[in-house]
Amino acid sequence: MSCVTIAIPSGRLQEDAVRTLEAAGYLAPGAWRETRRLILPGADGTVRCLIAKPADLLTYVEHGAADLGIAGKDVLLERAGDVYELVDLGFGRCRGVLAFPEDSAREWERKHAVRIATKYPRVTERYFWSRGRAVDVITMHGTVELAPQVGLADGIMDLVMTGRTLAENHLVEVAELFQATARLVVNRVSLRSRADAVAAAVDRLRGAAGQHAPAPR
Amino acid sequence: MHVERWQQVPAGTRDLLPHETARVRAVIDRVLDRMRRWGYREVTTPTLEYLDVLVRGEGAAAGRRLFKLVDRDGELLALRPEMTTPVARLVATRLRGAPLPLRLAYAGPVFRWREAGSGRLREFPQAGGELLGAGTLEADAEIVTVAVEVLQATGVGQFSVSLGHVGFLRGLLAGLGLAEPALDEVRALLYQKDFVELRRLLEVHGAPPARVRAVLALPTLQGSGAIDEARRLADTPELLAVVEDLAALERMLRAYGVWDAVTLDLGIIRDFDYYTGIVFEGHTTALGVPLLGGGRYDRLLERFGVPLPATGFAVRVERVLSADEEPADAWAPDAVVAFENGSREAALACARTLRERGLVVAVEVQGRLWEEVARDAEARGAERAFLVRGETVLVRERGGRQHVMPLAALRDEETGGRLR
Repeated sequence: MSCVTIAIPSGRLQEDAVRTLEAAGYLAPGAWRETRRLILPGADGTVRCLIAKPADLLTYVEHGAADLGIAGKDVLLERAGDVYELVDLGFGRCRGVLAFPEDSAREWERKHAVRIATKYPRVTERYFWSRGRAVDVITMHGTVELAPQVGLADGIMDLVMTGRTLAENHLVEVAELFQATARLVVNRVSLRSRADAVAAAVDRLRGAAGQHAPAPR
Repeated sequence: MHVERWQQVPAGTRDLLPHETARVRAVIDRVLDRMRRWGYREVTTPTLEYLDVLVRGEGAAAGRRLFKLVDRDGELLALRPEMTTPVARLVATRLRGAPLPLRLAYAGPVFRWREAGSGRLREFPQAGGELLGAGTLEADAEIVTVAVEVLQATGVGQFSVSLGHVGFLRGLLAGLGLAEPALDEVRALLYQKDFVELRRLLEVHGAPPARVRAVLALPTLQGSGAIDEARRLADTPELLAVVEDLAALERMLRAYGVWDAVTLDLGIIRDFDYYTGIVFEGHTTALGVPLLGGGRYDRLLERFGVPLPATGFAVRVERVLSADEEPADAWAPDAVVAFENGSREAALACARTLRERGLVVAVEVQGRLWEEVARDAEARGAERAFLVRGETVLVRERGGRQHVMPLAALRDEETGGRLR
């Protein structure tokens, strides 16, 4: 029987995800930092790990290319996937907020239609529509906070951890749309066709999530 | 590089080349053949249905996954997204009053809207069966057995069927003591399979801790110990009845001889507004998506005015195929027949004779020179090429050996045994 494949996201959650896998005994300490490979055999031979862009990670798990994956709740909210979301791993805590430039932060609710730049178009639309408000969403892939400064959008919807980026760009939070942490997701067939191995991995990762020290920011 | 529309097919659809079509056809034939032996007769319904039929069967929410079109009279039509609703319509109309139970089978393409780039097909072949008019566990046992045998017949490796029951989930939800809006949220989270948020929500609403634990244990409530664990969790008559039904089903499936391929799994989450009893999914370790899905749906037919219990399943034919290695295209004609001027009639008669013996025979239609025809036949893997000229035939064997025989000999006895 081939081993269980765990997908971990590159970027924001990578460091904590790797530490969790190390704490679970799946990766030798430091093993990942010494290589540029995208796929690594696990330390004990029962798992292998692959690294994927956060936006692609759900696709890997949905199609069963990975049995398990670690994904931010923000990604899960934006792109509902056909996967089981089983464990709140607790790390990668952040918030999805709506923010406007300091000088217009008090007026946005009076505007008929606002333009919002975001990496989370669906979450943003859902938020506005659920409040009976119209919104023009501009989908971006990075440096969203730039958009209001150059007149591309009225405001932004983005992740914040400390709020420093907002402050530096003279943006003020006006609403919180969601809170997010890293979640353990599982392919729906893996949960059945390799039930024992997957359940064991879920338990080990659940146990490991609380143990390791958070990555320094 | 610029690609014109005419060079493409729409996202989520595909062309099947001869060897691919042959594989799809073979799987469908095996599925239908297996069901035929259980008394399931194939029906055919239109690819297009009135939108009203599909929405009546599947609920308004299903409208989002439909391909819709408007005909010239302004009628809303849609491509069928699955076959159970069309079969239900058929049973409620043309087959109304037919002796029960009805055993029906079907195969054909279905259509669902999918996001482009999701790697999911928008058109794919489905084959399945419905057992209508029998509300018994015996009927459930039969449909699960047929599903197992159908997967066996397809030749897919290392498959198993997970068997659950929506009544268990429903019973657990009823015992949470939640009012409607919260319960709705709980259902939505279960559909999304978001057990993290589910735990939070249940705790916020102060649901009984034992029940919360039971709901959260669902995804892994499977395998040999599942029935005992379920019995332990069952603290209402409804839940106990579900557990006893599953235990009885296990005994029946053992009697049918298919229990080895079945795993009890109370964590299966299929549309629990649609299904009313058992639910099951078939899968293989080679594929991350189910090969087959089904269950009991006793309330569908009443939406068409004929309250009939029903149970059934559908196989994802293309997934069965993708779970196995794609074999190389090994097809070749058995023989190629060419002729010289004036010998057309003799050549065609000879080709007809060979076909009647079950051989695949291609006739040269381009008027090429014999050498070219023979080389081409060899390259395509044909066993032999024949050149009919008057009363004799020049035979080129595969590998290049060539000999002459009387035309009569070819038509009569000689080659029948030697070719294949």
